[in-house]
Amino acid sequence: MLFWILAVTMPIYLAALYMSYQATADRLEQGAARDADGLAARLAAELDIVIRPIEGGIRTVAGQLEEVNPPREQYPLRIHGILAAWPEVYGSTIALEVRDGDAGAQPFAPYYFRRDGAIAYSDLALATYGYSRLEWYRNAADSQQPVWSSPYFDAGGGETWMVTYSVPFYRKPAADRREFAGVITADLDLKWVQAGAEKLDLGPFDLGWLASPPSDQAFVAPIGATQRHIAARPTWLSDAIRGEAEKMLANGLTFGLLPARVGGEPAYLAVRRLSTLDWRLMLVIPRRQLLAEARALLHRQLWLGGAGLLLLIAAISFTASGISRPIHALAESVGNAEEGNLDFHLPESTTRDETGVLTQALRRLRDSLKAHVQLRAESLAAQSRLEHELQIAASIQQSMLPKSNADGLPRSVKVAAALVPAKQVGGDFYDYFALRDGSLLFAVGDVSDKGIPAALFMARVTGLLRVLGNTGTAPERLLAEINSRLVEGNDACMFVTVGCGVLDPTNGLVRYVSAGHDPPLVRRLDGSVAPLIAESGAAIGIDAPVEYRQAQGFIAPGDTLVLYTDGVTEAEAGDHRLFGAERLSKLLAAHATQEPAGLVHDVLEKVGVHSADFHAADDVTVLAVRFCPPTVSAQRDDACERWRIEAVGTSGGIRQAQQWLRTILTAREVASGRIADVELICEELLTNVVRENTADGGRIAIMVDCLLDRDDIRLVFRDAGAPFDPLARAAPDLAQPVEERAIGGLGIHIVRELADDARYSHVDGQNVLEIRLRRTPASQGATP
Amino acid sequence: MSLKIVLENEFPPSLSLEGRLDSGTAPDLDRMLDRVLARKGITRIVFELGKLEYLSSAGIRCFIRARKAIEPGGGKVAIVNPQPAVQKVLDIVKAIPPGGLFKSIAELDAYLDDMQRKVREGD
Repeated sequence: MLFWILAVTMPIYLAALYMSYQATADRLEQGAARDADGLAARLAAELDIVIRPIEGGIRTVAGQLEEVNPPREQYPLRIHGILAAWPEVYGSTIALEVRDGDAGAQPFAPYYFRRDGAIAYSDLALATYGYSRLEWYRNAADSQQPVWSSPYFDAGGGETWMVTYSVPFYRKPAADRREFAGVITADLDLKWVQAGAEKLDLGPFDLGWLASPPSDQAFVAPIGATQRHIAARPTWLSDAIRGEAEKMLANGLTFGLLPARVGGEPAYLAVRRLSTLDWRLMLVIPRRQLLAEARALLHRQLWLGGAGLLLLIAAISFTASGISRPIHALAESVGNAEEGNLDFHLPESTTRDETGVLTQALRRLRDSLKAHVQLRAESLAAQSRLEHELQIAASIQQSMLPKSNADGLPRSVKVAAALVPAKQVGGDFYDYFALRDGSLLFAVGDVSDKGIPAALFMARVTGLLRVLGNTGTAPERLLAEINSRLVEGNDACMFVTVGCGVLDPTNGLVRYVSAGHDPPLVRRLDGSVAPLIAESGAAIGIDAPVEYRQAQGFIAPGDTLVLYTDGVTEAEAGDHRLFGAERLSKLLAAHATQEPAGLVHDVLEKVGVHSADFHAADDVTVLAVRFCPPTVSAQRDDACERWRIEAVGTSGGIRQAQQWLRTILTAREVASGRIADVELICEELLTNVVRENTADGGRIAIMVDCLLDRDDIRLVFRDAGAPFDPLARAAPDLAQPVEERAIGGLGIHIVRELADDARYSHVDGQNVLEIRLRRTPASQGATP
Repeated sequence: MSLKIVLENEFPPSLSLEGRLDSGTAPDLDRMLDRVLARKGITRIVFELGKLEYLSSAGIRCFIRARKAIEPGGGKVAIVNPQPAVQKVLDIVKAIPPGGLFKSIAELDAYLDDMQRKVREGD
């Protein structure tokens, strides 16, 4: 932080310093220029005080000479007057013009000058002098104007620097004519100028000169202490400096830096051109000297600034540490925090600055986090308790379902069932149990909705099914009764579809009632699968009273009834294909063993595979009942179904065998007339065998095979009794009067009449009688 | 599924058979016939078969026995209203002459009235 603050403030400060220095330097330069102006003005004034009156005076004398035109003898008087009037005038003359045409004219130029405190005379009109050719004369004569000469050193005369003022004068030979008559001069001794310059104060400047315009013999008057200063500075070249000044004037400059070669150190030069005599004023001030004040100021500011910066740094450090220390402390406290330990200490903060606010905010955050963590722990505990309860509920629910090897089931059936709940507890159920009359009641149901409500409702349904089912009521009344009980107080508006059937194990009769449930499938011995058609009534729990219609049908030994819930057919795959009834039928048809347990397992497995990449949407329940009475064995050959009925040679046994045949043929939809024929044949042949073999009071076992294919019904009767061919018996003479008829032989006659084919053989000590009937009679047979 | 025998009328005896008349139940009918035939002067026995579902040769033997018992004395056995399956068996063995089969009691009554009229006219 400190770095950044300094990084920002330092450049600003330095820029300010630089600007201040520059401003001061500019101000000082302007001051120097002003000082130079002042000095120039003073010099000009001092010169003018002397020179302007002299100029005026000489010109007045020139005017008087023109007006009065005195004789030349009076000229010395006039000259004396001039010398007397202006002490600065060293000498003066009035030189007459000599014209070429004026033969009588002689040069005339008396010169009076000061010497040793007195006035001395010198005649300039000497032929050797030839004044009319001299500069002081010619300048005025040629220009016809008053003219100042350049300064010159008067060697041999005054031994001093001089400057001469020459004024032409005129004469009027006629009133309208004016002609040039000569030149009046005044020589000014420049000692006073040198003295005046020396007396001047240089002010801030180090060196200064008053100088005449450059010429062969330039007059230079050092100003003030210049001489001393220049003596102390051997590197300074005064002439070169004056040369630079002329260059500056030529360029129109009045102030500038001197080139290093003319001075020992960087210095400024100020130049002024005076109006008087066109003289120059040159002033030099070393840069160091001019800017000393600025430097001093800069140094002062630097010191002050440095001190300020130090103060700033100290203040920043103090403030920063005031902020960062609590933040540091905060960071340390918070850094130690973790989920399990939120009891970290937060520094007490009573300040109302940002740190205080932050600490307060963190405190609130910590507290709410603690509360949240605790809440979460509680909810986790509650959840796990619930989970546990659900597990118990699930196991209770499973225990409500009958065990696969439940006791008391008829020996004629094999039952297997399974339920896979979508959640822990489900709304599906199945049940099966033996009724008092030995029948098997089986049911599968699917409660609307899923989860606990469904499970509770399911418990009620199974409870009622058990209690009411055991009374042996017909299934349609059973469901109606359950319905009326469940409708009562069904505020939750739950309902359940139930498929409920009763199988009579003695004859394979199935009575089935559906309350809104899918029809069960019958998997026949030959592998074909067909639904058991039943009119479906309303689902249970919706309305009361409801009447249900019972459907009846036989299943043959070896057939399997399969009940399921829609969790099977509506099991959804990832691509939303349903498992479907068709797939289920195919699966059942292809199943090899037909063992209910294996069948159920396979269905569940296939459904599981089908919906493996999809969430389980519904409970899946399958119940399979295989009808396998012990006295009838069933098997399937290539082209036909085959049953073997073990019949006992009693009238009861015969009746039973007949019943099995009726069951089998009904289950295979053989026309009832044909079934009656088969029953009759069975009885006639069996009674025959019994009659032939049980004269001694013993019993005989007879095996009746029933083979069924597309066209024929074949019956094979086997017994190990005495060899006896009933077909060998002559047919009774039906034309005989009844009184004369033998009472026997009628049965065989009937058999012969009904059968399409009958043959006897004796094989392996057994009487084998084979009867063949067309499934549907070719004609009405023996009916007249 | 057994046989139910109802003696509708004592004289002349009329037996209504319901259920199955087979080798198992025929002895029951035989016993009933024993009782009925024990009486003298039976000239007519009517078997009402409207509710008989099944008939085997054992049952037919009962009918033949009845015929044997009364026909020599001029009696007659009448079978009334046999169901198709039963009719079929009766047809196969021709146990009852065509004149002994009646579709209904009314037909039998009409026949009997006719017979009586003939007898009176004959007298």
